[in-house]
Amino acid sequence: MSWLGRALARRLPASYRDWAEALWAEADEVPAGWERLAWRAGGVRLIARQARIGRAAGGLLLLAAAAWAAWPASAVPLSHGAVDEGDVIITIALLAGVPLLFRRLLGPPASRTARRLRAVFYCAIVVIMPAKSVAEQFVGATPRGGINLHTFDLITQSSPAAGSASGGPDWGGEIMVLLITLGYLAVVTALTAGRARLAPGTLATGAWAGLVLGLVMYAADPLGGDKYATNPWLRGSASDPLVILAWVALLGAPAAAGALVARRHVPGDPATAPTAQAWQGLAAGLVAGGTGALTAAVLGTSTTALVIRSAVVRGWLFHGAHLTASAVYGRELYASMDVTFYGAICVLFPVIGLAMGITGAAATVPVPRAATVPVPRAEGGPPADLPAP
Amino acid sequence: MGTRREFSPQALLVLAALQEQPADWQHGYALASTTGLKSGTLYPILIRLADRGLVEACWQEEPAPGRPRRHLYRLTAEGAASAARALAAAPARQRAERPAAAAGTRRPLRPGAAAPTAQ
Repeated sequence: MSWLGRALARRLPASYRDWAEALWAEADEVPAGWERLAWRAGGVRLIARQARIGRAAGGLLLLAAAAWAAWPASAVPLSHGAVDEGDVIITIALLAGVPLLFRRLLGPPASRTARRLRAVFYCAIVVIMPAKSVAEQFVGATPRGGINLHTFDLITQSSPAAGSASGGPDWGGEIMVLLITLGYLAVVTALTAGRARLAPGTLATGAWAGLVLGLVMYAADPLGGDKYATNPWLRGSASDPLVILAWVALLGAPAAAGALVARRHVPGDPATAPTAQAWQGLAAGLVAGGTGALTAAVLGTSTTALVIRSAVVRGWLFHGAHLTASAVYGRELYASMDVTFYGAICVLFPVIGLAMGITGAAATVPVPRAATVPVPRAEGGPPADLPAP
Repeated sequence: MGTRREFSPQALLVLAALQEQPADWQHGYALASTTGLKSGTLYPILIRLADRGLVEACWQEEPAPGRPRRHLYRLTAEGAASAARALAAAPARQRAERPAAAAGTRRPLRPGAAAPTAQ
């Protein structure tokens, strides 16, 4: 670690190099063992932060993940290979180039919270891409129980659907994913930029509320909206309260976030206070809806991708059920074909969040009374509600 | 929104540790022991305080044989005034925490052991 620290310290600006050396020299005074290791680990963290190595590494990781997400995952060539190759270019351009472009257009993050939220959203989008890709493509290359996706298509559809293993490219779906991704990147960049004038607490509250919403949604539907795919994840009486809770979270979490930030926000100018508070509430609701959708989508698509590959995840999802291999495969197919469900919630949740956020804010912010305009008296005296001299 | 605090609770701990013996140079490990802060937290605070001119730093002139030179820190006059103000204004809870944190293994440097050199 000593070697690593000294190598990293060379990347620092001259003004900070002294500090890195100071911290490193001091390590000799720290008792050997875990304490010294922790001291040096702190040094590496300091150097990495000052040298902005984390940001560079994050950028590289984003690029690598984008390439991995976009690269055709299936070992078996699928019939719509043209879309897979197009995915490579589009996804890399989106995830590596578009954030930079939006940053240039809309501005850098306004606060540390804004920077973190922006990074988390970008990374969530990066995670969704591979999970979606794996879910859609691996299933076609993983025959089990004497059936594979190509056979499934032939049996169930006289004319294979676009986007299926034996159908042509699903251009409509590809364009929809592209638009949703672009929309998310644009909105999250705009909301976290300085021009949005959002308090860090607004973003944080919205994000936490959205996280709760996303986790509840995921618990209710871990493999998307298709009940056949998740059966027997939760049966009847166990499922119903969770579904009700999911609805409550969908409507209540953004509203609560909106109400909370509107109540807390104290703008400088009292005249514009209601508008500013409503804006904070609206934004918190939007962030909550978006975060909820992304959380559910990341967890759901990842589970869908894993269920195809991992016996442990299959055992966890279909616990206690004696399913034949082909029955399990059928559920996997339904789940993998149902990833469009996540596209739908990625559009719907922010809209619902926005509406509920502003509702919550409106319920909290007192409606300003209309200013009383003094009515002049007919005979030209002083206004009626002013004392006469 | 509310006004931004001048110093974080951790920075106040560092200021308090330095202010206890404002004339003495102290090294990083002693400050870490006194305040209970990890190196990854302590050094960014020292950097910020030095950037603001509240702390001055120098390299030890005569290191112990076989040991590397150590970096030493103390409050500037402005830093001492600023620390006194900030510590007086700190919430009572934080003031109560300071003596507990300061009860660590404090080992002030001997006079002359560390004559300042240019930073």
